[in-house]
Amino acid sequence: MFGYVGKILRVNLTDKTIKVEPLDEKEAKLYLGARGLGTKMFMNEVDPKVEPLSSENKIIFLTGPLTGTLATSAGRYEVVCKAPLTGTIGASNSGGHFGPELKFAGYDGIIFEGKSEEPVYLYIKDDKVELRDASKFWGKTVYETTDEILKETDENARVACIGPAGEKLVLYAGVMNDKHRAAGRSGLGAVMGFKKLKAVVVKGSGSVEVAEPDKFIEACIKARETLKAHPVTGAGLAAYGTQILVNILNQTGALPTRNWKDGGLFDHAEDISGEALTEKYLVKNKGCFGCNIGCGRITRIPDGKFKSFGEGPEYEAGWSLGADCGVKDLDAVCKANFICNEYGFDPITLGSTIACALELYSKGIITKEDTGMELKFGDPEVVVELAMKTALREGFGNEIAEGSYRLASKYGHPELSMSVKKQEMPAYDGRAIQGIGLEYATSNRGGCHVRGYMISPEVLGLPQKLDPLVTTDKPQWLKIFQDLTATVDSSGICLFTTFAIGLPEISAMIRTGLGWDCSDEEILRIGERVWNLEKIFNLEAGFTKEDDKLPKRLTSEPLPEGPAKGKVSRVPEMLIEYYKIRGWDENGVPTKEKLEELSIE
Amino acid sequence: MEVKFFAYIREYTNCKETKIAYEETVEKLLLKLSDIYGNQFRSKIFSGNELSKEIIVLVNGRHIVHLDGIKTKLENDDVVSIFPVVAGG
Repeated sequence: MFGYVGKILRVNLTDKTIKVEPLDEKEAKLYLGARGLGTKMFMNEVDPKVEPLSSENKIIFLTGPLTGTLATSAGRYEVVCKAPLTGTIGASNSGGHFGPELKFAGYDGIIFEGKSEEPVYLYIKDDKVELRDASKFWGKTVYETTDEILKETDENARVACIGPAGEKLVLYAGVMNDKHRAAGRSGLGAVMGFKKLKAVVVKGSGSVEVAEPDKFIEACIKARETLKAHPVTGAGLAAYGTQILVNILNQTGALPTRNWKDGGLFDHAEDISGEALTEKYLVKNKGCFGCNIGCGRITRIPDGKFKSFGEGPEYEAGWSLGADCGVKDLDAVCKANFICNEYGFDPITLGSTIACALELYSKGIITKEDTGMELKFGDPEVVVELAMKTALREGFGNEIAEGSYRLASKYGHPELSMSVKKQEMPAYDGRAIQGIGLEYATSNRGGCHVRGYMISPEVLGLPQKLDPLVTTDKPQWLKIFQDLTATVDSSGICLFTTFAIGLPEISAMIRTGLGWDCSDEEILRIGERVWNLEKIFNLEAGFTKEDDKLPKRLTSEPLPEGPAKGKVSRVPEMLIEYYKIRGWDENGVPTKEKLEELSIE
Repeated sequence: MEVKFFAYIREYTNCKETKIAYEETVEKLLLKLSDIYGNQFRSKIFSGNELSKEIIVLVNGRHIVHLDGIKTKLENDDVVSIFPVVAGG
C-alpha cells in the first residue's frame, strides 16, 4: 500500500498487552483514513449504546494516507470514540506534528481498549512500543507533561496528552498534541482520562511511500502554488488568523451575543477582533507539519492582571469567551483560552456554558448561593476565574464542567443551552445565516460549524456568494460541503486548504499518492459514505429526527436588530429537503437503497 | 455616510472608519475613496472597472452582490463596510 504504512497498534489498557495488526485494505478503500476509516474501525468493535466513560468505549487515533507526505498541510490525524458530551460518535481532527510522527514510526493508527487502574502512557519508538507508568505526570498540565515526558523518552518525540481537565473528566476535555494543538471538541480527552491514559509519545525514523513520486510531487507543488496565490490561504490567515471574522460577522449582524439573546451585534466587537489581536498581542504566526498557510497564533499578553502567553485564540474560542459572555477585554479572552490549552479542554463549550450560566444568573434562576460568586455578562474576571475552576472541577466550575445542556437542565431551563445534541453551537447566528443553522442541526457530532462550513459561501463568497438570508439551495450546498469535508477529514490534509483548492486538486494528490485509479466523484462519495456511517451510529445510539433541531431561541426569537432584524432560523423547512437530498426517509434514516449505493452494510 | 474599513484595508486608509459626503452609488463611493486614499487603495478595490474578487462590500450589513452590485444606490445614512476576503474559521 502507498500512503498508508499498513499497521495498526492495538493496546489493551486492562491487561497491558500490545499487538500489531494489519490495516484493513478493503475498508481503507471505502473509508480512506482518519475520520472515515477511524469511525468504521470503531463501529466494527463498539456497541453504539456503550457508556462513553466506560472501559467498553474504545478510543482510536488514526492518521490519513496523506498524513506525513508532501501533500498540502498534511499534518492531520483524527481521534475517534463515543463522545462523553453528546453521546454521538465523537471524532475530532487535529494538526501539529503528532500524526506524521506516528506514520514515520510505522503505524497508521492506534486502538486503545479497556482501562488501566494506574496512570500510564504509551511510548512508541519505531518498532519498540511500551506502556509506561505515568503517575508522576498525573495532575500536571499539558505543557508540564509534554516537557517532562520528553526528557524521559526522546527530546525529539511528539506528544499527545490530556491535562487535568481530562483527568477530572470535564465532559469537554480534549486531546492536546504538540502542546497547543487539539482534537478539541466533544470530550474525547475525558475518555483518555477515564482510561487513565495520560499520554502517547511517538518518535519515528521512517517515512511515507507514495505510488507515483514524480506525479505526486507535481500535484502537490501545483496545489501549494494555488494556496500561496489565494488571499485567504496565501496571506490573510497568516496575517490575521481566524479571529479576523469577528468584525465581518458583526457587520453582517450575525455575531451571537450574550448567550444569543442580544441578537447578532456586539457593541465591542472591535475590541476583541482579529485586527485588535494582531495589533496588540500577536507575536507571530505558526504552521503545522508541511503547511504553507500558517494560521496559528503565537500570542503574548505582556502585562496587566491577565499577563500570559500561549497560542490562539481561534475565532470560535475568542467568540465564546468574548461576545457570547459580553466580554470586551481581549487580554482576558486570551488568558481564558490559554487556560483551556494548558489544562486541556474545549474553549467553545466553556465560553458558551459560562454564557448560559450568566443568563441563568441574570434571570435569578441561579443565585450566589449556587455559584459562590457574582456572575454577570461583560465581567472578564468571571470568565478567567470560571475557566480555572472548571479545569479542576472546583466550586461552581464542577457544574460548568458538565456543559451548558446539563447545567441548564439541572436548573429547569434546558432551552437556555445554545446547543444541539448537547454540543454548543459556535459563533455564527443561524437566524442571520440560514445555511450554517442547518449545519448545526444536522451535524453528526452536535453543534458544529466546521464540518459543513456554509460561512464560506454565505459570508465570504467562496467559492461563490450565496445570500445568507434565504433558504434556497442551502440543503444542496450543505450536503456538498459536508461530504467534501468528510473526505478531507479522512485524507490527512487540513480542511483550511479548501479555501483555495477543491475536489480536483485533492483527488489528484490522492490518486498519485495512493496509486488509486478512481474519479473525483468516487472520492467525494467517500465523504458521503462517511457521513451516512456516522448517521447510522447516531441512530443506533438512540438519536432521532427530534435531535436534528436548533434551540427554540433560534427558531422563535427573531433577531432584535441589525441587518438580519426580524429573522429566525428556518431549519424545520430546510430539514425536509435536506433529508430528501441525502436519500434519507422523512425521519432522517438512510434508506436501504442509499446504503447499498454507498456499499455500507 | 459612514464608511468602515477592516483588516489590511486599514493599512491603506490609516483609519478604521470615516465619514464621507453623499455619493449616489457604491461605485461612485469607491471611486471617491480611491481619490482620497490613493492608488494602492484603488488597486486593491478595483480589478479593472469591476470590484476585485478579493473585496467584500456591505451596505448596512448586506453584501452588494445581493443588492445591485457596485451600481447599488445609496442613501445618506447608509453604513458601508469594506473587507478583504482574508480568512475563515
